[in-house]
Amino acid sequence: MDRRTVLKAGVATAGTLAMPAYLRAQSNKKLSILTWNIADQEALFKEEFADFQKANPGVEIEWLDKKGPDLPAFYQTQLVAGTAPDIVDLQGELWVEWAAGGALLDLTPYLQKEPELIKLYNPDYMSSFVYDKKNYLIPFYISKTLLYYNKLMFKEVGLSAPPTSFAELISFSEAMAKGEKTGFLTLNFDWLYWPLLKMNGVELLSPDLKKPAFNTPEAAAVLDRLAKATASGGINKIAWTGRWVEPNGAFAAGTVGMFHAHSAAYFFVKGQGRWINPDTLGAVQTPGDWSTPTNHGFAVSKTSKNPELAFALVKHMTGNKWATRFSEIRRVLTANIEADKAGLAKVQAEDPLAHAVLQTQLEHTDKMTGNWPLPNDAQIKDGFWPEVQNAVLGRKDAKTALADAERAVARVLRRS
Amino acid sequence: MANSEAAIRRPHFLARKSTRRAVLIWSFLVPSLLIFFLYRILPLGWNVLLSFQAWSPMKPAVFIGLENYQEMFFDDEVFWQALWNTLGIIASAPIGIAIALALALLVNSDIRGRDIYRTLIFLSYPLMTVAVAIIWRWMFDERVGLINYVARIAGLVDKPIPFLNSFTWALPSVIAANIWQMLGFYMIIILTGLQSIPENLYEAAAIDGANAFRRFARITLPLLRPSIFLCFVIGMLNSVTSFDLVYVMTAGGPGRATEILITYIYKLGFTQTRFDYAAAVTVFFFVLLLGVTWTANRLSGGNAGAVEAD
Repeated sequence: MDRRTVLKAGVATAGTLAMPAYLRAQSNKKLSILTWNIADQEALFKEEFADFQKANPGVEIEWLDKKGPDLPAFYQTQLVAGTAPDIVDLQGELWVEWAAGGALLDLTPYLQKEPELIKLYNPDYMSSFVYDKKNYLIPFYISKTLLYYNKLMFKEVGLSAPPTSFAELISFSEAMAKGEKTGFLTLNFDWLYWPLLKMNGVELLSPDLKKPAFNTPEAAAVLDRLAKATASGGINKIAWTGRWVEPNGAFAAGTVGMFHAHSAAYFFVKGQGRWINPDTLGAVQTPGDWSTPTNHGFAVSKTSKNPELAFALVKHMTGNKWATRFSEIRRVLTANIEADKAGLAKVQAEDPLAHAVLQTQLEHTDKMTGNWPLPNDAQIKDGFWPEVQNAVLGRKDAKTALADAERAVARVLRRS
Repeated sequence: MANSEAAIRRPHFLARKSTRRAVLIWSFLVPSLLIFFLYRILPLGWNVLLSFQAWSPMKPAVFIGLENYQEMFFDDEVFWQALWNTLGIIASAPIGIAIALALALLVNSDIRGRDIYRTLIFLSYPLMTVAVAIIWRWMFDERVGLINYVARIAGLVDKPIPFLNSFTWALPSVIAANIWQMLGFYMIIILTGLQSIPENLYEAAAIDGANAFRRFARITLPLLRPSIFLCFVIGMLNSVTSFDLVYVMTAGGPGRATEILITYIYKLGFTQTRFDYAAAVTVFFFVLLLGVTWTANRLSGGNAGAVEAD
């Protein structure tokens, strides 16, 4: 073998070895993003991605959207397979379990590097994405519970203003119950019913989140009252059995006096309820001003090969420019302060009722409840909620149901 | 000449005809067996292994022996509730089979338009289970459901019954929907069994003075035994694994009123991220189904599904 042949072979080998590195470098510029039930915003996302790609040439973005119940199972499967998307949109408190398990990237160092960035967002909403003093999510869009009330039904029974206490909420409900009509309905997923207990001073867990704290005479009295109002027709049974479509549909039908739901429900209800206009529907804080948030935020998977780039895309999508566009188009609040100002101004002109609903989302943000940073939130919920159902639907007395729930929740906490 | 050359070139182990046949048969079987092994046996083995471990997608697996099983049997009320509900659904299979038997006897007789009836009854079976669940959810609806509407028009009830929201009615409602879906399948199997019973047996019995009931009890039922047990086994397996029907109709609620093992396993895995514990419940479920199927097959004389003729 002469020297030339050796050199040629050397160059060919180096080229072959270098090729995967080059390809790797190319693929390093690929980002994947998984969103949750927001496929209708495809056009906006495409614009946002194109804008990002202009500033970051060569970056390829793969976008995937999953429907409500599909996303958690899908993301989990991807985690196990080691192919989790770089960025994931997570709702409610689901993120805590993954953050605690080490699946999500701690974004605190990124936020510390850019102190101006954190000032873009509403601090109360931002702080709801903190677990173990670390920030894991950047708000994408936000929503918390409020009380909608049917002014026509209020008028029929001579009520002039929404309730300001739990006792009023129940007595108003019972006053409106007649035939097909019921007085009150609440959404129940993601602890959205919790303000009903919180306004009566009931706590789910001890302050260190290590022990159940809800098995108290006060809690029993609340459940007992809710059960009685349910049995008398004051509270619609769907409050305890429906999920999303059923309660929204029932309130939209115009036969329910009050509806405890988050702001997202407004658009669903309005789409179905022809009776709804500013003269017939009111939107106020729930008595006690307590509310349960069910926010969406962007997290970066720890397995991301491009965490810097992924964070840059999150920043891009939640920054003033695109958050404003998103807020205006989708009529949601984003927790981006500037964007929400612009979004609210636009919606005020177009739909004053939607404005009233959205305005509640920025009030009393210091009184958010039902959003405990619990890594085993789903398991606790699963131990607690069926017993609440047992109590309010009259299958068990409140004390027995609470004792059973306490046993179930304590078991979960013990296991953790 | 060419053949003899080929025979010479053929490897020694293929020289015998029987070996060549075996190789041919196995070459057809291997792909299927490989898929069966990869997608059935391997996950089953992995599942059994997982049931003895503490594992979640973000943590390494730790061997914990029988802890998951201990929790399941001694510390989990939901498991027992789900098990009773599952057994309730299994126990309801004979109701569906009895109705199907009556329908099969009806459409096996000389009534007019029997082919139309057969088609109509069978139509429920090929429907997607999710569609069946949605149809029945609305049928049972408290406000706009057909069943409540008819019951009120007929004066049977004063107030609408919240079928799917009631602890008393939810499970029977789900069972009713399940029976309705399986009815077509049961009927076809029993009808096939009925048509395979030789007519001369009935003729001989009639000559001997046996009345219709005795002919049914002494000829039809015994000869239908394999078909009935086939219905039971398939119906039972189909019912207890019909996750979609329960999930769409009630999601296991209210409370745990319609929670069955399969929905509970799903919730443990994908809502609570407890794949290890879900694996233990799955192993139990597997053993339960194996036991029920084996018993049913033994009761049928070990030939469920066979058609006895002559």
